[in-house]
Amino acid sequence: MKPDAARPKLAAGFLAGATSRLLPASIPLRYFGAAAVFHLAAWIALAVGAAGAPRFVGGLGWPLAALHLVTLGVLAMTAIGASLQLMPVATRQPVRATWLPAAIWWVYTGGVAATAIGMGAGQPAWLGAGAVAVVAGLLAYAGLSARNFVGARGMAGIVAHGWIALASLVVVVVSALSLAFTYLGWPLFEHGSALALHVPFAAYGFMGMLALGLAYILVPMFALSPAPDETQVRVSAGLGAVALALAAAAAFVHGHATALRIAALVAAGAAVALHLKLVLLALRTGMRRELGRSFRLVRIAWALLAASLVLAFAMVVFPDVALLKTLFGIVLVPGWLLTLVLGMMQRIVPFLASMHKAPGTKLPRTPSSLTAERPLAVHYLCHLCALALLAGAAVLDSAWLSLAAALVGSVGAASFLVFFAILVRRMRLPPAPRSPARPPAPVA
Amino acid sequence: MKRWTEADGIHIDVRGLSAPQPLVQILSLVRSIDDDRTVVVHHDRDPQLLYPELAEIGWSAEIVDGEPGEVRLRLSRSA
Repeated sequence: MKPDAARPKLAAGFLAGATSRLLPASIPLRYFGAAAVFHLAAWIALAVGAAGAPRFVGGLGWPLAALHLVTLGVLAMTAIGASLQLMPVATRQPVRATWLPAAIWWVYTGGVAATAIGMGAGQPAWLGAGAVAVVAGLLAYAGLSARNFVGARGMAGIVAHGWIALASLVVVVVSALSLAFTYLGWPLFEHGSALALHVPFAAYGFMGMLALGLAYILVPMFALSPAPDETQVRVSAGLGAVALALAAAAAFVHGHATALRIAALVAAGAAVALHLKLVLLALRTGMRRELGRSFRLVRIAWALLAASLVLAFAMVVFPDVALLKTLFGIVLVPGWLLTLVLGMMQRIVPFLASMHKAPGTKLPRTPSSLTAERPLAVHYLCHLCALALLAGAAVLDSAWLSLAAALVGSVGAASFLVFFAILVRRMRLPPAPRSPARPPAPVA
Repeated sequence: MKRWTEADGIHIDVRGLSAPQPLVQILSLVRSIDDDRTVVVHHDRDPQLLYPELAEIGWSAEIVDGEPGEVRLRLSRSA
């Protein structure tokens, strides 16, 4: 072996060369920042529309705007930002042009804002224009991701999740356009079928499969555990695809819709059970046992994912109980998906930020030095209280409880935004002189 | 995955492992070292996810010369 010191190329290993798999920090951070802002906007929109929230099952208004500020503004925004950075690393692909992710952000963020305003204020023209921009942004993201998946080396099970998510995204986009243009009088197909496609393909298809696939990277990475069994990851992806195909069939084959929906839920239940088995095994066998508040949120989210399937089954069996639909929506979107994304985000953002060197120094930064714990503690309490208040508002049909949920949720979202702002500020400062190393987490 | 010891430290070869196994194996080795020994990593790609984890436990990395197609890192405790 050649002498180590002969030609050290990099101090601390922070790279950003031409073939780097790292995006400039500003690109993922702009997605995460927008998600944090839309998160706060969503709770404020819910406060404005609190009177109509307890029995909300659709239709223009501020509850619909709040829902889409969460789904498009927080969930999809975060998923795009995280996957744009993590997928090239996981699939060993170099980052290609960086202007496209930046351009997508401008188009998509403007589109989300216009869509939310159009929904909340009942302005179909804004809604239509926003929907077109959102669709353009999502399709461009899908193209970038597809190019990355085509060249992927290894991790076939995770890439399969990615492909199913992208296919679901196409269904979401087509059904969303149909729903949006219904308000302009130009539906692409029947409203009930569009809605029956849009909800499962947006939540379980696009966001869900992306979340499941990314979890197979992120959970072992944070827990420092062996990778999940590849065969079982592929089976989980296959079961998810079967469930989505059955749900799509149920949207159009009205005569057998109930049987198809139950079959879809059985397949989805098997996929989720296998997924949870794999990620919980990773947490049990990982070197890092204590993952803190962020993974307490993630575990709660996983429980709510299972609960969402139980509620979906109850909706199929008792289709006339309106309360079930509202509870399902709460458990599915702010319950499972939003809790999962916020839990993961408070770990991913400092981690990705610490991969970029501090200005004017070669000293490395650590994720913990970029993380402000107190705002996250406030957010944790507020988020869980807001979820409980939302469920209570639905059960008791109480606008006051909806308003309370929105206000508590707004405080939590503002705290999360403070966490993000502090992180960006700390990124711009040189790191503090190194203190003695933090004792490592308990090792198995 | 192979491990062996040479005069310049403990070597670990994680080439061919899929993510996150290289990360897990390297950190497992580093966390087991309680003296001033260095670790030499033989990798097939630049392990960008490793660096924040190393910084968190007070270690740093530098790239040193390796075989063609290899990314070789020397890990040591930060000064």
